[in-house]
Amino acid sequence: MAKQLMKDPLNLIISGVAGQGNVLIAMVIGNALVENGYQVMFGQTFGSNQRGGSVRNYIRISNETKYSPIIPQGHGDIILGMEPIETMRMLKEFGNPNVMTVVNPRAIMSIDSRGGTTEYPDIDKLLADIEKLSSKTWVINATEEAQKMGNPILANVILAGGLIGANILPLEKNSFESLLQERFPKAFEINFKALNRGIELAKS
Amino acid sequence: MKRLLSGNEALAWGAYHAGARVATAYPGTPSTEILETIARFDDIYAEWSTNEKVAMEVALGACYAGVRTIVSMKHVGLNVAADPFMAASITGVNGGLVLICADDPGTHSSQSEQDNRHYARLAKVPVLEPSDSQEAYDMMAIAFDISEQFDTLVMVRTTTRISHSKSVVDLSRSRPAPTGEVGFPRNVSKYVMLPVNARFRHPLVEERMVKLAGFAETSPLNRVESGERNLGVITSGVAYQYAREVFPDASFLKLGITHPLPRELIRRFAGQVDRLVVIEELDPFLEEGIRAMGVEVTGKDFIPLVGELSTDVVGKGAVSAGILTEPPVPPGITAVADLPKRPPLLCPGCPHTGMFFVLASMGQRLKPPDSGDNPAKKSNLIITGDIGCYTLATYPPLNAMDTTACMGASIGQALGMEKAGIDTNIVAVIGDSTFLHSGITPLVDAVYNEGKITVVILDNGTTAMTGHQEHPGTGVSAQGNKATKVELENVVRGVGVSDVRVVDAFNMKELRAAARSALASPELAVIIVRGACAVGVPQRGEPRVVDAGKCNRCDVCLLIGCPAIQTVDDKVYIDTTLCVGDICTICQQVCPQKAITPVTGETE
Repeated sequence: MAKQLMKDPLNLIISGVAGQGNVLIAMVIGNALVENGYQVMFGQTFGSNQRGGSVRNYIRISNETKYSPIIPQGHGDIILGMEPIETMRMLKEFGNPNVMTVVNPRAIMSIDSRGGTTEYPDIDKLLADIEKLSSKTWVINATEEAQKMGNPILANVILAGGLIGANILPLEKNSFESLLQERFPKAFEINFKALNRGIELAKS
Repeated sequence: MKRLLSGNEALAWGAYHAGARVATAYPGTPSTEILETIARFDDIYAEWSTNEKVAMEVALGACYAGVRTIVSMKHVGLNVAADPFMAASITGVNGGLVLICADDPGTHSSQSEQDNRHYARLAKVPVLEPSDSQEAYDMMAIAFDISEQFDTLVMVRTTTRISHSKSVVDLSRSRPAPTGEVGFPRNVSKYVMLPVNARFRHPLVEERMVKLAGFAETSPLNRVESGERNLGVITSGVAYQYAREVFPDASFLKLGITHPLPRELIRRFAGQVDRLVVIEELDPFLEEGIRAMGVEVTGKDFIPLVGELSTDVVGKGAVSAGILTEPPVPPGITAVADLPKRPPLLCPGCPHTGMFFVLASMGQRLKPPDSGDNPAKKSNLIITGDIGCYTLATYPPLNAMDTTACMGASIGQALGMEKAGIDTNIVAVIGDSTFLHSGITPLVDAVYNEGKITVVILDNGTTAMTGHQEHPGTGVSAQGNKATKVELENVVRGVGVSDVRVVDAFNMKELRAAARSALASPELAVIIVRGACAVGVPQRGEPRVVDAGKCNRCDVCLLIGCPAIQTVDDKVYIDTTLCVGDICTICQQVCPQKAITPVTGETE
């Protein structure tokens, strides 16, 4: 039996911009949870979201039963935001006084070809608002760290490390190891390093 | 073996473990991953068919030959396949035949919402609806058994949420060894639908429905979950999950078989509860069937007809109907300013962009997104469109599409406008996969009826919008083997078009020249614009940059609509992580100031 959750169901949202590896990392996290004995319902939005679109993954974790694939509004427990605007978008929809947020502060500009707001908000104010709306916030400079490690695509694994380091998911580092090995057989070492870097950053 | 699988993956595993030997499909969100998953197994034949009608016909032939067969498609695909689908109903099957039909409530990526359960009523075939991935897996085996036992095609209806959500599946079965001989037992009265035989088959179809209704009464797929008697909920598919969350204490009749209805079971359930409601997505399919039985029931008076359901939507409806006193109030954060959206766009390096830029400039349609003006309204060029990534050219700054209806419609629509008497130039724009799917017959029509339109085939060498599936023009099969390549220019010339040009998608001069001469031509012209989809190109070239000294902010480059070209602090700037570089260079070619160069500053 998997260990008790701080809340059942525990609703995790992973959001970002298509092309950042959101779905891939959500899959690794989802599989790790299944291997740890949890019931997982994993809702994804894709379809016509090519590169550059907003992407969200809903992961509902339970000890008891399967929940529906869409998280009800205001019922997010943990938000893993790979981009500040996308993090704020999720806080608007799923926020509540207890929500905890792990956020990558690197902005990705957008073109809204259909009119409406096009200006990217002031990034410092946006991050301050994210902290204000979350009960706890971990700002993980994942893109910057990933670039230092030689490839910006590692940001998603660094952020997953952030979730583990923040100790808010019922997952240990070792439950990730074998899955990373399975997913990235050729690039395991660099991904494992990225995971550890994320854990360190969340703890510091 | 327990695995985290999407509904589509689970359906594929279910079919595989049920012994399916042939699988056919045409890609379409949200159904595409069914065939993609099943094509990875070696001991099954899987094909991307040219279109859904062909997929259904190939499947029909395979099942006549005695093997278990699945055919999968999105909801609107069944519109295309409706003719052989109806035929499958009347002839029945030999080996089991299961149609997986994926509806798209909420119109996530379709031209319409439609509830395909109506098709099953029309064709008089049974419908199974799974509520999660485990049921999707389990139901496939049952669907094949029903198909063979009752001599009928079986429809398994999923929806976007079921197809694309992942949950844990216990893959409890394994693939059986092939049984029985493959062979077609000639049976004229069953397989040759001459009127005399069709007349004889129709009563058998009606009898089949009576027997199936009896089967539905006792099938474990239809189950009662007893709870409090003040509220009874009849539901199916993903709606079951939402309803369970909103009414945790109610009694449930969960229907896995939604056509034909288990009437006695429903009557008994209705008698056990004080208030009976139906919670279903899209049309009141179950509700009307139950009401027609004379049972008092409500549903669509508080559950929307339109769009996708969710726990929130069902909860709000329940409050309005007085079933719940208050929804679980979301704390809601309203004090946040509007955020910029990220609508889907043509990608950086998209091979469709150049031709659209040319057509839009010739039709004087280019306008920045924030201008609020729609120049396409008074353009001297009409552009009929089709279904694919390129439909995104509808939006500013390109404004380069005026119609989109269904697969292949662009060519017939253009011809119709011409024949109605429109005297401006008319261009039909269609992708390679869509052209092969259903653009050939309207092109034959335009040849035969002496149309003068211009047809642009955007050939990016893949089915891009659904995630890069192979098609007859790629020369590769669904299972990754080399296949005979159907050459578009041969097809076009072969049906009788003499004015055919093949141009490089990234050469602006060539594109302009081809468009000018085709539009000026007094006869039917076809331009094939060839260039690989940018998402499929593994190597990126040297990105382009803007020389701020030369740039005079004429902003022509911004009218391309490339997501890599942005303005930052009043300067035009190219995001080098997005720019694909050498393979594209459209911005460099259109810049009047020659201010766009490779990063190293060298221009040829």
